[in-house]
Amino acid sequence: MRTKKVFKILGIILGVIIIAIACFVGYGYYMFSKSLMPENEPFEHASHYIDPDEALLNEGFNVCNESYIAQYYNTPELPYPNGKNGFRNYINLAYVNNNYTDSGYLNIRFIINCEGDVGRFVIHENNLDLEPNLFNEDLKNQLFKLTSEAKGWKPIFLHDEDRDSYMYVSYRIEHGEITEIIP
Amino acid sequence: MERLLKLFLSIAVMFLILSCDSKRERAEAVYKRAIHYPQGSMMSINGIKRATEIDSTYQQAVYELSVAYLKRGLPHKWKPQYNKAVLLDSVQRIPWRGYLYLWFYRDYKKAIADFDASDTLTPNFIDAPQGHSVDYWRGICYLGLKDYNNSIAYFDKYINTEIEESGEDWVEVTAFLYRGIAYFETGNFEEALLNFEKQLQYSRNLSADAKYYKAQILKNQGKVEEAKALIEDAIKDYSVGYYNNRPYVETLRQVYPEDLQALKVELQ
Repeated sequence: MRTKKVFKILGIILGVIIIAIACFVGYGYYMFSKSLMPENEPFEHASHYIDPDEALLNEGFNVCNESYIAQYYNTPELPYPNGKNGFRNYINLAYVNNNYTDSGYLNIRFIINCEGDVGRFVIHENNLDLEPNLFNEDLKNQLFKLTSEAKGWKPIFLHDEDRDSYMYVSYRIEHGEITEIIP
Repeated sequence: MERLLKLFLSIAVMFLILSCDSKRERAEAVYKRAIHYPQGSMMSINGIKRATEIDSTYQQAVYELSVAYLKRGLPHKWKPQYNKAVLLDSVQRIPWRGYLYLWFYRDYKKAIADFDASDTLTPNFIDAPQGHSVDYWRGICYLGLKDYNNSIAYFDKYINTEIEESGEDWVEVTAFLYRGIAYFETGNFEEALLNFEKQLQYSRNLSADAKYYKAQILKNQGKVEEAKALIEDAIKDYSVGYYNNRPYVETLRQVYPEDLQALKVELQ
């Protein structure tokens, strides 16, 4: 009779604990997940996401850890091949202004994997007011080829390991001339 | 039974009172939870967007939703979102936008236009986006445009104001460096040297940049041995991290090891 009572009390305590834990987990889930979802058009991806199916030069390109791709600025040194100066010289020497009249920002985003290979490219074309505006195809292809074929991009070294990272190169172009390479 | 009912009602009333937060308070609570996630991640931008849905006038959230796009090279997504924040708080966001135009787009003219606009918006107050006076930032913009006289004029204004209000040791040291570079470019080596000396004075004599420019002036004055010693020093400073740089983007007139080595070779 007494044992039965003890079991009953233990059962009640256990039940209360389980309910409390379930409430805690449910509350946490609601606060940090459900309650953060917008009612209209929630984002389906992170802001930096590049769709592998639509990206350029993604075939045969592999990232080392798909679930953790850092940002180029997570470490102080910029990951350009041969440093920023080296990359700028490479571009300025190779780029030819074939009487282009375009002005704007040609931005090329991509991933540098943990081995220093680059792939999964996407191009954004905007005018100098940062509004979408197409560039001359030849100019675009020339800068895309030069950027994607540059050798020696540096993988980001973070938490004691070389890691994948998102990178972008923004070419500020005025009347067909490259006036700035950012970042 | 009656007591239980009273207790239940009291609890219900308490919950009602507690849940009567204003729209802004609810938006802020959602925003604070959202920014626990990494900037730009799906949960972060969704949560921030949710906060703007709750209170579309919550400027901090409206602004924050633009930031990830800025840092990731997506200007067409950054600008429309950022400009929504400008509509909500132009006094804060216009000079701030000038700062962003300067560093993330190297659009010196647009940056100057925003800094100038801040003079009109706050006529009796010098705005300081990202902690520095708009005069300091204009000095950098004009240096980028190679308009050295205007660059010097704005650095003068910034430095003199700072000295008057707080003392010379409160001046941002790179103002001396950049004013020195502007003088260097105009060929006024005497003034340039004074500024590089100031930069060194306030950075414990550690600055690859100041020494690099000083070495060039010394070379120009025929003091080759002094220049050689100085460039060696500059290389040492650089190797231990004492050079002008900034996060996210290359800074204006950033000096690189190959620049230092090239000058060293020239001096041999």
